[in-house]
Amino acid sequence: MVEYKETICPYCSCGCGIYLVIEDGKIIGEEPQNNHPINEGGNCPKGRNAYQFLYADDRLKYPMIRKNGKLVKATWDEAFDLITSKLKQAGPNEFGLLASGKNTNEDAYVQQKFTRLVMGTNNVEYCGRLCHSSTAAGLGPTVGSGVMPISQMDIENVDCIFMVGINLKETFPLMAMRAMRAKKKGAKIIVMDPRKTVTARELADIHLQLEAGTDVLVLNSLMKITLEEELEDKEFVKERTTGIEALREHLASLDLQEMADISGVPVGKLDKAARMLAKAKSCTILYNQGLNQHTTGADGIKALASLALLHGQYGRPGTGLCPTRGQINGEGTGDMGCLNVFYPGFQKVGTPAEPHKKFAEHWGVESLPDQPGLPYTKMIQQTKYMWIIGTNPMMAAPDVERVRESLESKDLLIVQDIYPTETAELADVVLPAATWVEREGIHAYVDRRVQKINKLIDPPGEAKPDWWIVCQVAERMGFKEHFDFSSSREIFEEIRRVVPPYKGLTYERLENTLGGIQWPVPSEDHPGTPTFFTQKFNTPDGLGHLQVVDFKPPAELTDEEYPFILTTGRSIFHYHTGTMSRRTPTLHAEVPKNYCQVNPKDAASKNIRNGTKVSLSTKRGTIEAKAQITDDVPEGLIFLPFHFHESCANKITNPVLDPACGMPEYKVCAVNIEVVK
Amino acid sequence: MSKNMYIARSSDETILERGESGGAVTSVLKCALENKIVDGVVTVRSKNGDRFAGLPVLVTNPEDLVDTAGALHSSLPNIPRYVKEYLEGAAHMKLAIVGKPCDIRAIIEMQKRHQIDLENVFLVGLNCTGTISPATARKMYTQEFKVDPSDVLKEDIDDGEFTITLKDGTSKSMDLAKLEKKGLGRRENCRRCEYNIPTFADLAFGKWGTEDETGTFVEVYSEKGQLLFKTAVEKGCIETSAPSPEGIKTREEKDKVAIESAMEWREKDFAPLLKMDLPERYKYWTDEFRKCIKCFGCRDACPICYCEECLLEANREFLVGGEIPPNGIFPLTRLAHVADSCIGCGQCQDACPMELPLSKLFTLMNSQLNDIFDYEPGVDVEERPPTTVARDEELQIDDTFLNITTIMKEERVAEKKTKNEEVADTG
Repeated sequence: MVEYKETICPYCSCGCGIYLVIEDGKIIGEEPQNNHPINEGGNCPKGRNAYQFLYADDRLKYPMIRKNGKLVKATWDEAFDLITSKLKQAGPNEFGLLASGKNTNEDAYVQQKFTRLVMGTNNVEYCGRLCHSSTAAGLGPTVGSGVMPISQMDIENVDCIFMVGINLKETFPLMAMRAMRAKKKGAKIIVMDPRKTVTARELADIHLQLEAGTDVLVLNSLMKITLEEELEDKEFVKERTTGIEALREHLASLDLQEMADISGVPVGKLDKAARMLAKAKSCTILYNQGLNQHTTGADGIKALASLALLHGQYGRPGTGLCPTRGQINGEGTGDMGCLNVFYPGFQKVGTPAEPHKKFAEHWGVESLPDQPGLPYTKMIQQTKYMWIIGTNPMMAAPDVERVRESLESKDLLIVQDIYPTETAELADVVLPAATWVEREGIHAYVDRRVQKINKLIDPPGEAKPDWWIVCQVAERMGFKEHFDFSSSREIFEEIRRVVPPYKGLTYERLENTLGGIQWPVPSEDHPGTPTFFTQKFNTPDGLGHLQVVDFKPPAELTDEEYPFILTTGRSIFHYHTGTMSRRTPTLHAEVPKNYCQVNPKDAASKNIRNGTKVSLSTKRGTIEAKAQITDDVPEGLIFLPFHFHESCANKITNPVLDPACGMPEYKVCAVNIEVVK
Repeated sequence: MSKNMYIARSSDETILERGESGGAVTSVLKCALENKIVDGVVTVRSKNGDRFAGLPVLVTNPEDLVDTAGALHSSLPNIPRYVKEYLEGAAHMKLAIVGKPCDIRAIIEMQKRHQIDLENVFLVGLNCTGTISPATARKMYTQEFKVDPSDVLKEDIDDGEFTITLKDGTSKSMDLAKLEKKGLGRRENCRRCEYNIPTFADLAFGKWGTEDETGTFVEVYSEKGQLLFKTAVEKGCIETSAPSPEGIKTREEKDKVAIESAMEWREKDFAPLLKMDLPERYKYWTDEFRKCIKCFGCRDACPICYCEECLLEANREFLVGGEIPPNGIFPLTRLAHVADSCIGCGQCQDACPMELPLSKLFTLMNSQLNDIFDYEPGVDVEERPPTTVARDEELQIDDTFLNITTIMKEERVAEKKTKNEEVADTG
């Protein structure tokens, strides 16, 4: 019997509804869900091909243990025995766990609880470190919260949108739909991006095409013009912010023309943009990796947030800085505390709130770690025992050859995933996970929108939900009483008890609320919270703190040997490290191989033709890709997608980190390009 | 009075209560299942009474049919696709398919392409003057009717009014034209649709003509329809009476008014486009096409598209893979393949995440092609699509869009001229 079953797309974090068509326990098709409030029946190419990734031949179906250098089939008991015997030897802080932006909140919660309670360390992280750690570091001091402060649905009602370092049409297509609706109604759109992306081409009224890595200069320029031309929202600045004098003084010391010369954005254009922002009644500010992934990512975000504060663009529907998390649970895994300094609910280690004590009480243990754990990349380098769940640092972390060396030297590397990823190939133990509609649970999507997905099919072979696997190990480590969960619902009930923003959510409410509920939800009769900061900011004094930020150039600049700038990013047809989208025939056929975008003039100077195989070399190494000649990239800039393991962008990216947050500088490094003879 | 017209009422109390105006549809279908005239009924069922979540469903147990009684104006189930993709095009079972005129027309077009086996299919048509997309309905209920969308138990469109019945038993009406002026109301393609009574089905059910009595107005168009209807009468599943002459007249008049409204909408939607000179028109469409992100949602939703291996897929290497927007050849190829047979169901536009006005494009092209080829898709299974039977002179279409009349049959030219003059007189 064929049945249409509703679920949420597993790709980016818009949270679009789809119908899966299921016959005899197998998904045989997919249909649009017209009644879902987020996407209203539309889907992007990935969303239209959402389920095929489940069914590739090499799906992990049973546990495997490395014997004589080879991964061989094992039973769950054998795998658990090996893991337990090794982990019992781990000293304090020798263990680290990487969680996933794709697991459920229930999975994530159990993973951080295991790390903190069983292993006694805060060494728990997830890919959020690599995409939005600068958000927490930048927005924390400025407005007190690093989450999207609005509902994505309100974007269609604003009269101005400022997109910074985000290629919205390719990375969040159904949010682009909202932006396009706003534009149709007359909204003005400013896009700040070194590339002439499809977003810049199709949506921008003003394109601030800056030199890669000069974001702070452009934002300082916009603030300077705003204050000098008295374009700021004086009342808002007076009533709701602090720090204007210091900011004014700092900006006065900067030279507009000098900044424009470095950023490459003419003063006239900046002036127009500042006036456009000033004119806006409501302005949505969307930003993403283009701003985040720099050694100065947190600075860029502070500057952008300060600009928004100057223009009074906070605290109303559709306004404020919107970080755009790129995984279905990019928000939720952070909410659940899979970060080295945050207990669940963003309760920070080492603050007067003393979350380690609170959680020790919740969990019925004497003590919990009170020191920050290691951030993502450091954890890979410095721990001896690692458990990596649903994430693929061998593709996602910068300078992957160094990552390989670190992972190969582990006393124990457990990789829990759905496919033999590049990381799983290095594992001592591989555990097969159930994913997406093979189990139930909740996710928090881009705008804190919590939606539940139901189990619709069985996982393949012996694959199990992530939470179940972790609980089994915890039990064998002697902590059964703390991990005595028999369903994701039971875990969820504990989450509700200890994570205040989730308190008012229940499985029943979520099942009956199409489109989900936005946290915080303080009680069961609370409708959820679409808009933040309507009265005050989450800072201790309730004010928005204007930030003084100095421009620092990227860590690696061009020289004679590496005369071009390399920047990495995504294609609409693929997803992150390719584990899912490259196993989806339609998507794979669209972009089967890696390419790099080269400006026609650069191509001419290097004798590169469209389709020519080129080598890209940095101080870390060399990869090959097909050249795509286009003026989407300016002279001197090469763009490279990071989805392709055989042409792995992160083999050559720079692992240098933002000191404020541990974010690697994926968006700028020096590269040379040559034709492969 | 046609001897094929009846007023019918269900004899089943439960169905009478749940069904719309007499519950005859449900009872006829139930009877067909019970008496094994069909193996299954394809109809629409909503989840827990959610009016926005009606989905196509195959019902084989007669007792389950009562759950599908009643109309859902704000659900957009793609019934033809369901039958083609997931029920093997009715190749292996006899099906009664319930549908709006566009669904029925789509199925007839699919039969011409051997995607649905019409031998095995009974087409049970429902009168329709339009549907509303769920997002628009919710917006309309909240903003205009000032009610909670989940409190709406029933919607109805009649006499230019949009009426909702609420949980508390009260009802509210608003002027449909006014709502549509605000961009609310029916889907664009429905506003332009000239087919209200599915005369090309085996049976058509509707409430027009029953203003003065309880029951459903039924018209039987074929032997198959006769078989379904007669069995239901003989088995006592429905009671019938003859419609009054006034009822029949009212039905005709309402149909006429609805068709006139559709013609007005067509004029309103198409005139600005047709007024543009060719470069302007080209720019208008290429600007729209540039929004495309190549999701293939339009193709997948289209009941007419049916190639096993689509030319536009990346692996065919007809278009450059991985490029968005795709070359304008993408929508134009779809247009070339489908426009002659487009039945205006609007599913392409509903599935488009970038909200391209696809339905407008396809309906406009279809209306122009219809003029040239004198072809009306979806009404007669014997009538072949023009691409397969075009006459030589019809294919001399160098100047198609400049002067259509030069290649139209003479009597059609005259007919169109008179029609235009009438419009000019009244307008």
